[in-house]
Amino acid sequence: MSTPQLVEHFFRHEYGRLVATLCRRVGAQHIEVVEDAVQSALMAALESWTVSGAPDNPSAWLFRVAHNDVVGHLRQRTRRRRLLEQYTKEAIDTGEKGSELFLAQEVQDDLLRMLFVCCDEGIPEPSQLVLALKTLCGFDIREIALRLFISEANVYKRLARARSQLRKFPPRTDGPSEAQITSRLPAVRKILYLLFTEGYLSSHAETAIRRELCSEAIRLTSILAEHPLGQTPETFALLALMHLHAARMPARQDGAGGLVLLEEQNRDLWDREEIQVGLALLARSAHGDVFSRYHAEAGIAAEHCLAPSLQETRWDKVVEFYSLLERSAPSPMHKLNRAVAVAEWKGPAAGLEVLDGFEPPTWLVRSYIWSAVLADLHRRCGNAELANRYRKLACKAAPTSAVKQLLQHRLQINKQTIPRYG
Amino acid sequence: MPKYLCMQRNLPGGESRKPSPAEMQEMYSKFRAWQEKFQANLVDMGGKLGAGKLVTESAADGPFVEVKELVGGYMILSAQSLDEAITVARAFPGLVHPGSGVEVIEIRTA
Repeated sequence: MSTPQLVEHFFRHEYGRLVATLCRRVGAQHIEVVEDAVQSALMAALESWTVSGAPDNPSAWLFRVAHNDVVGHLRQRTRRRRLLEQYTKEAIDTGEKGSELFLAQEVQDDLLRMLFVCCDEGIPEPSQLVLALKTLCGFDIREIALRLFISEANVYKRLARARSQLRKFPPRTDGPSEAQITSRLPAVRKILYLLFTEGYLSSHAETAIRRELCSEAIRLTSILAEHPLGQTPETFALLALMHLHAARMPARQDGAGGLVLLEEQNRDLWDREEIQVGLALLARSAHGDVFSRYHAEAGIAAEHCLAPSLQETRWDKVVEFYSLLERSAPSPMHKLNRAVAVAEWKGPAAGLEVLDGFEPPTWLVRSYIWSAVLADLHRRCGNAELANRYRKLACKAAPTSAVKQLLQHRLQINKQTIPRYG
Repeated sequence: MPKYLCMQRNLPGGESRKPSPAEMQEMYSKFRAWQEKFQANLVDMGGKLGAGKLVTESAADGPFVEVKELVGGYMILSAQSLDEAITVARAFPGLVHPGSGVEVIEIRTA
């Protein structure tokens, strides 16, 4: 007897699928009962399948076990006859419907519905993110804390806030209405964007952990982009930017886990297939009259992906996209990025000019990014003293040793400056 | 070949944290690899223990000590020696959590 292989992330994704499907059937206000039942069902599967082999349809097996558990719990809990009968009746219906439940489309619908539940207006954004990671991606509290660089207590607190909001849900709603879905779309995209950037920009030492968050974001955004209600240009732009960033991930780290500068990345390592997918999505996003921040960011990522080398990057286009980004999503970070792009395009002095008269907020001044950019621009302008001062500040503020090493490498005061811009 | 009864025991002070779905998947894969490696030694994969009674001539009573609290599950291995059985049991993926142990006992039939 041998135990069959399960697909990658089977348990985690089954967790998300089961929570979504069961919440739809009994109502998201019972999410805690649902999550406990799903956890127990997976545990039972682990114990049973390793001894007597996995069943032919593992998903159906899990659903049956978890569903019975939920119904049992609710039956114990509720004193209201009428509801009781409704649940019980449904339990019987489920048995009859069997495999019908596992039509791919229905599962996608359930996952999407759950995503919109996670983005309920009454749940604060940090809690939305944690709730999505917990319920849709199947990470536990410890794993979420590790991925978001926050304490387990913090994850727990955020989750508790989300759940207390879910408990207020009216019983047995069919989830968000069509109008609610449309109005919640921006919040849903924001959460998916955050999920992706948490992985992409994270300074976590393990590439695998970062990639995991990025692929979860891509998985959920793809479901949104395939749904009639989610198929908007902005969704396509968001998915495009994820694929275009993901394409460059293999080259972003050296063998030892250190970060690699864009100019030193081996462009042969970029994933051509991902780039193609990203560009196709970007083309689909070019409809309508909305130019979102996702369009701008995808545009920037596309320019980088299409450039044969750093020198041959169309920096004028990149600068244009950063200007558009500043307009659709004003942020000091975007201004700083534009300054960097201008420096690449017209030289370091022009880059510094962008920042002339700009008063950065305290959080930016304290960050290593601000000091690092100024150190680099001043170094390239030949202002050794200023460059040195900012370099020290940047190294002091570096959050991880990988970033610190990168800065020391990049900002060497005696580094030969190659006159790249004519 | 001699057979050995293996009983998984939950030691006091063991880790009670529930494994996450990702960890369950890892346990599943480890289990699979273990099963493949020691296929020849696995006579009966056994299972978890449930409720029970102590049966005597006069009555069925107890059990006075909840067996399943002490023993998580059992299985039967075949091995050339106790040492070999211990090697197989030591590699058992059910031991990944601290606070879990396997008792290996020879079954004498002769």
